[in-house]
Amino acid sequence: MSERHRLRSLVTLVKLNGLIPIRTQPLYLINLLASPLSFLFFIDVISKGALVAYGITGGLILTMLSAGTGLQSDLTHYRHDLKFQDVVIASPVEAPVYVAGMALSELVYSLPGIAVFVVLFAVKGYASPVGALIVGGVLVLVWAFATALAFTLATYFEDVRETFMFSPLISLMLTVLPPVYYPLSQLPHWAQLLARFSPTTYAANLVQAASIPGQSISFGTAAIDWAVLLGVTLALFAIAAFKARWKEP
Amino acid sequence: MSSAIVADHLGKVYPHAPPGVSALADVSLEVPTGGVYGLIGRNGAGKTTFIRIAATQLAASSGSMQVLGHDIATEERAIRARIACVPQESRPLYFLRTEEVVYLYLKMRGLASVEARRRTKDALEELSLTEHATRLVSRLSGGTRRRVLCAMVLASDADIMFLDEPTTGLDPLARREVWQAIRRASREHRTILLTTHYLDEAEALSGRLALIERGRVKLEGSPADLRSRVRYPYRVTIQGSVPREELEGFGDVSEIEGGFLVFAREDAARELARRTLERGARLSMGPVSLEDIFLEVVGRSIDDGSGALEDEEKEAEA
Repeated sequence: MSERHRLRSLVTLVKLNGLIPIRTQPLYLINLLASPLSFLFFIDVISKGALVAYGITGGLILTMLSAGTGLQSDLTHYRHDLKFQDVVIASPVEAPVYVAGMALSELVYSLPGIAVFVVLFAVKGYASPVGALIVGGVLVLVWAFATALAFTLATYFEDVRETFMFSPLISLMLTVLPPVYYPLSQLPHWAQLLARFSPTTYAANLVQAASIPGQSISFGTAAIDWAVLLGVTLALFAIAAFKARWKEP
Repeated sequence: MSSAIVADHLGKVYPHAPPGVSALADVSLEVPTGGVYGLIGRNGAGKTTFIRIAATQLAASSGSMQVLGHDIATEERAIRARIACVPQESRPLYFLRTEEVVYLYLKMRGLASVEARRRTKDALEELSLTEHATRLVSRLSGGTRRRVLCAMVLASDADIMFLDEPTTGLDPLARREVWQAIRRASREHRTILLTTHYLDEAEALSGRLALIERGRVKLEGSPADLRSRVRYPYRVTIQGSVPREELEGFGDVSEIEGGFLVFAREDAARELARRTLERGARLSMGPVSLEDIFLEVVGRSIDDGSGALEDEEKEAEA
């Protein structure tokens, strides 16, 4: 398959799983916006506006993470209930093109959420141009590792209902317990150590330092955060490449 | 004639299958290039397993298989570029319009927009789906959805098309439309590997057939070959008062509503026909059907029992 054909397949998949379902059911567009906005609302009310910056940075991370992990339900449903994955396997479309197309289509659903939080970000004047670049880079990595994780899991699930069980768990493990919506320093020392097992801790650390006034981290800490985030993303892609079951064993 | 698919001692044991139970065991087959090749057998006989291995969706446990000259284990990409498949129990994406299912599938395969649009229009016309072109799949009947999937694959440029029970749930008219489309693809020198429960369908479409039972190929060849290999290649239906004892010597006799059904060799069938007519009884005579062959080889009807694997499981336990 030539690069032109790959691109055609990719764009078609984005249209097929992203744009067309929204035409049929526009409510999909606010689906991924609901949770991050709810968190923002509670944080704003409870902290009387003092922690709203964490609500916004956390909302951005949660939106991108959900865009990635949301893929597992679609992929599992398409594989088991519709046998669409079998149709794709027996075609020139390669697995990475399929996953990339489906992942980008999930991102389409997140666009309103991203737009809302980016506008809030800009209105509050949180990030400098360099800070915005850092935030953008971190969010891309969060979306990428969540996509790799979702694809791998989706090839093992036997029923779409299993994804209903895993999605809240993943959300809890990656966005609620780790310091995505609050600073790491708020946790007791032992909990800070535990939080280090979640890649979103490093993502939040970088995003908060790059955008929230008064939050800063040393160059060394930033380098470690980037290294961990990149390492986790690459590791999850490697697991997806070698362990995901594209072809049934 | 070159072969589109060559299976050599192919075997498949599913990871969680009980010991001794194989979905496919020592299957060796050659599917010629161009034309329709039918796989027939009961539920669980191994037809879908064979088709899924050939379509590179499922790994084989033993043996080897070449598809279009490429090894299924090491050259999957080269195979996938030239195949298309309607999997068993598959459904089109319900939020698409009928024409989008076909068009987007062709675009996904890399076809340019103009070509994809032309093929979509032709395929919808061929399968009488034009009136449903702009309707959402979720609002179509089950049979129409199945036809949409057939249109999708038959519109493609694939050299091999795997159709796993493509006409299940279709009414007789719709089935015949799908048959016409399959014949058209076959005339274009494409290879179609078809599994079906409908033996009349297999007989009407297939140039060659394989009868699979419990993961093994029991018979293989053209419909004429298959007939020549059964004990009694002719069936004579007699309506009227003819004593059963007079028929016994001609072949295998069974009672049917208002008369008898006799399976016989050609010379015996002719002699039986002559005598029956002399007695003034009515009769019809012809070569045995695929259903008759199936009954003789397998010992029961294709619809009798579901899950040949379960039978094997019980045997293994015994």
